[in-house]
Amino acid sequence: MFSEVISNLSLGLSIAASPEGLLFLLLGAFVGMIVGLFPGFGPAAGIAVLLPLTFGLDPTTAIIMLAGIYYGSMYGGTITSILINTPGESATVASTLDGYPLAQKGRAGPALVMQAIASFFGGTIGVLLITALAPSLANFASKFGPSEYFLIIAIGLLMLTTMMGDNKFKGFISALIGFAVGSVGVDVMSGQQRFTFGSPELIGGVYFVAVAIGLFGIGELLHCILNGQHRQPAEKLRISFRDKEFWPTRKDFAESKFTFLRGSAIGFLAGVLPGSGATLGSIIGYSVEKKVAKDPENFGRGEMRGLVAPEAANNAASAGAMVPLLSLGIPGSGATAVLLGAFMMWGLQPGPLLIVNDPEFVWGLIASMYLGNMILIALSIFAIPLFVKFLDIPYLHVVPVIVLLCVIGAFAINASIVETWILVVSGAVGFAMKKFGYSPAATVLALVLGSMAEETFLQSYIISQGTLSVFWERPVSLILSIILLCVVLAPFGLKLAQRVFGKTEKHLAHQK
Amino acid sequence: MIMRSTIAAAATAAIVAASGVPVFASDYPQERLTYTVAFGPGGGNDRMSRTIVDILNKYDLYPNDIVVENREGGSGAVGFSYVKRQAGNPYSATSTSGNFLGTPLVADTDWTYKDFTPVGLLASDAMFLVVRSDSDFKTIDDVVKAAKEGRFTIAGSGSAGPERVTASLFANAANIEYEYVPIGSGGELVTALTSGSVDAVVANPSEVAGQIDAGTFAALAFSDSARSTNHPDIPTFRELGYDFDFSLPRGVVLAPDLDPAVQEWWVAALKEAVSKPEWQDYLVKNGMSGNPIWGADFGTYLEATSAKYEAVLKEIGAIN
Repeated sequence: MFSEVISNLSLGLSIAASPEGLLFLLLGAFVGMIVGLFPGFGPAAGIAVLLPLTFGLDPTTAIIMLAGIYYGSMYGGTITSILINTPGESATVASTLDGYPLAQKGRAGPALVMQAIASFFGGTIGVLLITALAPSLANFASKFGPSEYFLIIAIGLLMLTTMMGDNKFKGFISALIGFAVGSVGVDVMSGQQRFTFGSPELIGGVYFVAVAIGLFGIGELLHCILNGQHRQPAEKLRISFRDKEFWPTRKDFAESKFTFLRGSAIGFLAGVLPGSGATLGSIIGYSVEKKVAKDPENFGRGEMRGLVAPEAANNAASAGAMVPLLSLGIPGSGATAVLLGAFMMWGLQPGPLLIVNDPEFVWGLIASMYLGNMILIALSIFAIPLFVKFLDIPYLHVVPVIVLLCVIGAFAINASIVETWILVVSGAVGFAMKKFGYSPAATVLALVLGSMAEETFLQSYIISQGTLSVFWERPVSLILSIILLCVVLAPFGLKLAQRVFGKTEKHLAHQK
Repeated sequence: MIMRSTIAAAATAAIVAASGVPVFASDYPQERLTYTVAFGPGGGNDRMSRTIVDILNKYDLYPNDIVVENREGGSGAVGFSYVKRQAGNPYSATSTSGNFLGTPLVADTDWTYKDFTPVGLLASDAMFLVVRSDSDFKTIDDVVKAAKEGRFTIAGSGSAGPERVTASLFANAANIEYEYVPIGSGGELVTALTSGSVDAVVANPSEVAGQIDAGTFAALAFSDSARSTNHPDIPTFRELGYDFDFSLPRGVVLAPDLDPAVQEWWVAALKEAVSKPEWQDYLVKNGMSGNPIWGADFGTYLEATSAKYEAVLKEIGAIN
C-alpha cells in the first residue's frame, strides 16, 4: 500500500515537475492569485473566468495550470478578507472575523504571513490525506444522500452562532435576513418563482457574491468614512522582510500550533463531503477553535488563531473536495463543478474509472497540488510587502479603488447590472449592520447555507413520505443526528455541570 | 468517406445557390461572429458550443474570427435574451439546450424559441433511467412492478426540467404512480442514488456514464427515439413498450429577423461541420445521437418539443 502510494506520487511528480508543467503551474498560481485579489473572485469564479485560457493546452498541462489557478485564487482571496474586509467567496467569510481586526491593529504583515502558512499547511495536509486515503474516503462520500446533507448543513448552521458576535439576538436577526434573501429564486419543489418580480436575473436566486461584497466591502468602507478615517493621515507601515513587525511572533506560533492541525483535519473532512465543504469547514474550524480556546472573548478582536483555523480549514477542504471529484466524479463545490466540466471538455470521463483509465492525469493533478502549495507560499510571502503597502496609502485615495474593485467584482459575475444594484443595496445594509452591531457574516453564510438546507430538507421529507424517520433510519444520518443533538444539548449539559461543580471551581479559582 | 464528400458537395452547391441572392449572400460573412453561450464555462451547452466553434475555425468554415462569450444567469434567460435583442444582426449565434425551451415556459422571459432564426438541430440530448446495479431492479418491468406494488422514488435535476418531463412521460406510458425528488446538481444526483436515498434517477448520459462504465449504476432505458451510439446495448423506452420519447435540442440558432440567405449559409456551413471527425467524437463521448434536422424543419421540431414539454409541466402543476 505504502509503496503503491510512492509510485503513484512519483508518476505524478514526473509529470507535474517537468519544465513545462512547472511553468504552467507557476503561471496558473500567479494569475489565480491576481484574480483572487478582486473581491468576488474566489476559486469557483476564478476557474470559470480563466478556464478558456487552458482550452488550447493538452489535458495534463491544462489541469496543472488549473490546479495553480485553484490554489492561487484561494490564497489571493483571503488577502482582501484581511486588508479590506471583503471576502472573495463564502469560504473566506470566517477569515474576515479576526483577519480584518488584525490588520486594523497594525498587524497586517503577520496576519498575511500566518494566513499563507495556514493555507500552505492546510493544503499540504489535505493533499497528503488524499494520497493516502482517497479510495476509502470516496466510499464514505457516496453514502451521503439528501438527509445526510441536511444534517451536516444543520450542524454548520448551529456552529454559525459562535460567529455572530457578542449580541446573539442581533446575530439571529442577521441570519434571518440571510435566510429571507436566500428564499428568492425558483422553489426547488414546485418550480414556482419566489420573489423574483419578473426579473430573469433573479430566477437563479440572489448570488451571494454581490451580497458579500456589499455587506462587507462597501459596508465597512462607509463605516470608516463615518468615523472620519479618510481625514486621518495614513499609518506609516514601512514593512520589509527585515522588520520584526513583518513576521508573526513566536507567541503567534506557540498559541496556534494545534490550531493548524485541528483546522486542517476539520476542513479536510468537511471538504470530502459533497456539498459546501470549504464553507462548512471554515465555519466549523473557526467555531471549534473558539470553543476550545481558554480566552474565547478575544476572538473577533484580532486573534491570530481565529484567522489560522478557517484558513487551514478552507485550504484543506479544497484538497478534500478533490477526493469525491477524482474518485467518484462527484463535484463537491462550485470550483470542482467547473473542474468537472473542464475534464469533460478535454475528453476525460469523470467517474470511478478515471483513476484507473487516466492515472497520469489524476496523479499529475495531485502532484501539482503539492507543488502549487509550495510555489504559492513562496509567492505570497514575497508579495506580502507589496500588499501591505496598500495600507500605506491615505484612506482618502483608497476609497475609490475599493469601490471600483467591488463594482467590477459584482458586475463581472454575470455581466449584469442587477448584481450591481444588489451590491449597492447590500452596501447600505452592511453599513447599518456594522453601525448597529449586527453580523454580516451570519447573513452571508445563512444566505449560502439556508437555501441548501431548505432543498435538502424537503428532498429528505419527500423521500421519507412526509415523516422525519429518514433522519434516524439511515445509519449515517443517525450518527449525524446524534452529533447534532450533542451540539444542541452540550451548552445545557455544561451549565448543569457548572451548577453541580460550580462551587468547587470557584473555590479553586479563588485559591489561585 | 463517400458520405462526407457528398455532404461537402451539397454544401458547396448550397453556397453556390445562396450566392445567387443578390449582393448580400456573396458578401456574407464579412465580420467577426459573436457566439453567445447562455451558460457558464464547462457546462454542457458550453462544451457543445466550443466544439462547434473549434471545428468552424479548424476547417476554415467561417472565414472571420469567432468570439465565444459566456453570458450566464437565470437558467439561460440572460444569454438568450441578449441574442434576441441582436435582431437583424447576422453575426450573432447561440446554442440551444433544454432550457432554451424550458425557461420561457416557467419564467417570464422576453423571448421564446419562436423569436430566433433556426439553423439546425445537431444532436439530441435524451435521458437514461438509471438504478443501482446492486438493486432489485434488473429491467424496466421490475421498476413498473415495484411502482405498482408500493412507493417508488425517482430523482432528477430540478423540479420542472427535462428529467421531470421524462419521468412523467414514462409514468403516464406505464400507468404508474411515482414520487419525484428534485435534486440540485449532477453530483448530488449521483450520490442520491449511491447512498440509496432514492430508487432511481433520470439523468443526462454524460452525468452518469462514468458510473455506468464502472458498473455501479445500470441504465434501464433511454428516452430518445433511437438507441444511444455510446451505449448501444441500452434499449429505448419505445422498444420496451412504453410509448413515448423525449429529447432536448442541442442545436444552433441565430438572432431574429435575418435574411434567408444567412440562414442558408449557416445550414450549409454546419452540415459541413457535423461531418467532421471531431463532431462525431463529441457525439460518442457525450452519448448523444446525431440525427440532424435543418432550417425550417428545426423550427417545427422546436415547436413540437416545446408543446410536449408544456403539456407535462401543466399536468404536474408547475405552470398554469
